[in-house]
Amino acid sequence: MAIAMGRDQNIPKLSKDLCSRLLTDLEKAKRPVIYATKCSLDNAFYNHKVGYLTPGNKKVATELNVSSVKKMSRAIFILEILLRNIDSGAVNTKREIYYISKGEVKHSPALKPLDFQDQDESDSVIDFICEMLECYREDVNCYANDRGGQTYSQQLVVTETMPDGDTAVIDLSKLGTSPFMPKNRPQALKLSARKKIDFGLIVESEGTANTLVANGFTKRNNCIVMGAQGVPSNAVRGWSKLIQDQLKVPLYFFGDLDAYTMQNIFRTLKAGSAASLIRNSDFSAPDVKFLGVLPEDIKKYDLNDYPVKENDAQEVRALKKASDALKNDPFFQDKRNKGLTAILHWLLKNKRRCEQQALFSVDPKDPTMPEKIILEKIKNGVFV
Amino acid sequence: MAKKADAKTATPKNSQKITTSSTAEYFSKNLQQVGFSSQTKAVLTTLKEAVDNALDACEESGILPEVAIWVDKVGTGSLKNSDQIKIRVEDNGPGIDPDDVPKVFGEYLASSKFGRGRCSRGQQGIGISAATTWAQLTSATGARVITKTKNMRKAQECVVEVDIKNNRGVVKDKQSVEWEAKHGAPHGTSVEFLIDGRIQLNGEAGLLSYLTGTSLVNPHLTMHYTLPPTGDEKPKAITIERVTKEVPSIPEATEPHPHTMKLGEFIAHSHLFGRVTVGAWLKKGFSRVNEGTIKELIGAGIKRAVFERSVDSAQEGDFKDIYVALQNLQLMAPSTKSVLSIGEDSLSKSIKRLGSIDFFAVVTRKPTICDFKPVQVEVAMARLEDRSIEADASVQVLRFANRVPLQFDKAACAMVQAINSVNWRAYGLVQPKDSLPQGPYILAVSVVSPFIKFKNASKETVDASDELVEEIRRALIQGGQRLSKHIRRESKADELEEKLKHIEQFCPILVDGLCRITEASPARKKKAEEGLVKLLGRDARATEQELKEAHQILEAQVAKTAGADGPSELDADAELPSSDEPRKKAKAEKATKATKATKAGKAGKTGKSGKKETAAAIA
Repeated sequence: MAIAMGRDQNIPKLSKDLCSRLLTDLEKAKRPVIYATKCSLDNAFYNHKVGYLTPGNKKVATELNVSSVKKMSRAIFILEILLRNIDSGAVNTKREIYYISKGEVKHSPALKPLDFQDQDESDSVIDFICEMLECYREDVNCYANDRGGQTYSQQLVVTETMPDGDTAVIDLSKLGTSPFMPKNRPQALKLSARKKIDFGLIVESEGTANTLVANGFTKRNNCIVMGAQGVPSNAVRGWSKLIQDQLKVPLYFFGDLDAYTMQNIFRTLKAGSAASLIRNSDFSAPDVKFLGVLPEDIKKYDLNDYPVKENDAQEVRALKKASDALKNDPFFQDKRNKGLTAILHWLLKNKRRCEQQALFSVDPKDPTMPEKIILEKIKNGVFV
Repeated sequence: MAKKADAKTATPKNSQKITTSSTAEYFSKNLQQVGFSSQTKAVLTTLKEAVDNALDACEESGILPEVAIWVDKVGTGSLKNSDQIKIRVEDNGPGIDPDDVPKVFGEYLASSKFGRGRCSRGQQGIGISAATTWAQLTSATGARVITKTKNMRKAQECVVEVDIKNNRGVVKDKQSVEWEAKHGAPHGTSVEFLIDGRIQLNGEAGLLSYLTGTSLVNPHLTMHYTLPPTGDEKPKAITIERVTKEVPSIPEATEPHPHTMKLGEFIAHSHLFGRVTVGAWLKKGFSRVNEGTIKELIGAGIKRAVFERSVDSAQEGDFKDIYVALQNLQLMAPSTKSVLSIGEDSLSKSIKRLGSIDFFAVVTRKPTICDFKPVQVEVAMARLEDRSIEADASVQVLRFANRVPLQFDKAACAMVQAINSVNWRAYGLVQPKDSLPQGPYILAVSVVSPFIKFKNASKETVDASDELVEEIRRALIQGGQRLSKHIRRESKADELEEKLKHIEQFCPILVDGLCRITEASPARKKKAEEGLVKLLGRDARATEQELKEAHQILEAQVAKTAGADGPSELDADAELPSSDEPRKKAKAEKATKATKATKAGKAGKTGKSGKKETAAAIA
């Protein structure tokens, strides 16, 4: 999560201020209310000049009363654990926080009413704390597993400044077959290029990204190849933004032609998500282009496509979501994105899908055929 | 070659004469079709047939039924792995004329009810004769009958057997005896069967389920029964008293509706009316046919002269033309007057006889027409106090057709299909997809109709036609809505109690946590505690008031029920049985626990702990 280091977030201070305000209200026998930005599509706005989804003015108010006293007590209980972590520099996953809370309850019987029955309960409290403080969970030293973002390049050099001030220089061309992988936690990274980089390619399937690299994609081209591994994690989103901002190279996304990829994967990478409205500025790469698979590619390269299975709940749900997105999602409603909207319309109308790996069917005997098609599309500007 | 020659010579020997068998012969070889397919079913069916006959006889004569039942294991049966079972049923009915006794117990299809279109339990006259046959086949003795009518000085005792070859009842060992009814009735009938079988007491197909089910849908019945004990105890006589003294009057059958008949039946029906004109026959012999209908038939092309002709002289072609024209006419639906209902009032009283229940709901639908037959659906639902059943066990389903419990072949039955089709989750019950709901509930569904479409002769399953399933479903939905009021009320009380508990538990923890994070001074902490106590105390008082009101409503309903010894009006959904009281009291005690703790807290050193402070606020 390379980008987050620049943020001026003083969580202990924010927390103390919030708790102090709550305490002051209580002293006055006034009902404390906590306001948090509403993170949902009905409070999302999109401006192509900004490039990502931003929050509106809607707030969610949580008032202290008999119904919410349990939730608030639990939030303060977990906040104390998180602040202790920040203070000592310790980090934890959500699962570990769940067990830490169980341990606290075991050692202080007075806290028994706060006990969590399962991890879902403690996870939702951590999310509530982040909403209250309007921060990322990484800001409170609670990290998710690193997922996605394996990056290969013969030109890219990453310089990382460690928390203790030391620096580490990572020349990606010297990593052999290993990739560089951004982490789901704040990292201070500076990017440079040994030689001019022509473009960055973000591939939906990390497996396919690895195949391209193994077949010599990065040797033959001055580029960066990254695997997204499905819906991009914060690390992938922040890393893409960093490449976009620091190297100013064109970025292309290559993935399946289906509603899920368009709406959940590509939209999140390019403009962020409704659930993370307050952090989209750091976690979106607005300049990334959709290289394909495009509907016209099916005909042009005679790709194997197939109909959306009516009995596959996930695919049907994705189509329904896509149809809703056309009505409610400000990203797809913006006329600058009409090319992407047209793809969604095509998917809804034709109810067909085509996978990124279909490029391997074009010339089964030539393993570099997908690379040739990708380069051809970039060269001819066949992307949206 | 040899085989071929044998076949040739064998042909003349194999061509046998076509013979006819008697009805008794047919049933004696196919007793499984009428409920004697297993040893446990044989016991239940025998008992059921005897009780059905007793109840029908009493109701036909306007007598409040009092039925005594004895079932006992008296030895080892002749069949493999069977016991010899004695089943005796005694009623206080009008008694049977001695000349009719062999017909009733020993002749198949001899019935006073066949095809009459009335809502009686028995219809064809098969069941009790089949029970006699089973006794005869397994114990070599028929049914022992003692009966006395009002006009007889002494009772007549005899053994009736079925002459299987000729389908006739044969009377043996006839003698006059004193009528010694167990419960002092001046007349009645006692029938005793000695059969091979096995007794199953519990479970859906058990005798107890049959007896309690029968008591539910016959609120006017007083039943005494003695069943074999499970251990070494002595047999205990149980009495279920009647809860209403009204004998249900079985409505007279209405004339048949032309749309419910086939051509053959239509022509045969004309023969019952002697020398009347076709027009008069149509108007008199059918429901929903009047002068206007005749005019419409003329309009449809039937010659006027046909209607003025005598039915005797009408040709088959005339009948066919009229029949076809009638089928194409839009007639009013058949009358629903011939159905009989138990009624919400009686059901409400009767449901309490099933055991201790928390609450219940009953629904009596208006009579309606399903598949051109008048039908009335009633449902009763109750939650049992007994929670010993497994949490994921399905609800207990009681099915009734013409007030007779149905205990087998549940899955294919219209009633079960209707239950499965309802979304019980909406009413607060747990229900896996497309399955029966779960929990300690009883769902009783009763279908009453003069023409119930059973799937088989043993009358175990009602045919699931779309219209009937929909009608039952509607009744269940109404019942579910009424039941959910109780469930919601209860969960609301639980919610309120939960809220009170929350205030007590979480307030001190919250203030402690906030003070630790902000490193607040003890003075600040004390002030915050006081503020929070004030704040949530307001909520607590409001909650307590709400809880009190909820309990007052429950109290009022219980008092109403207890005062009237059962619901006095048809607002059964608002009723609560008196057995609910201890549970409710426990709940009230639980709810005011916080208040009591408060008082204790007040008496203690106020302010030393956040918990005491909170409790004081609640007080």
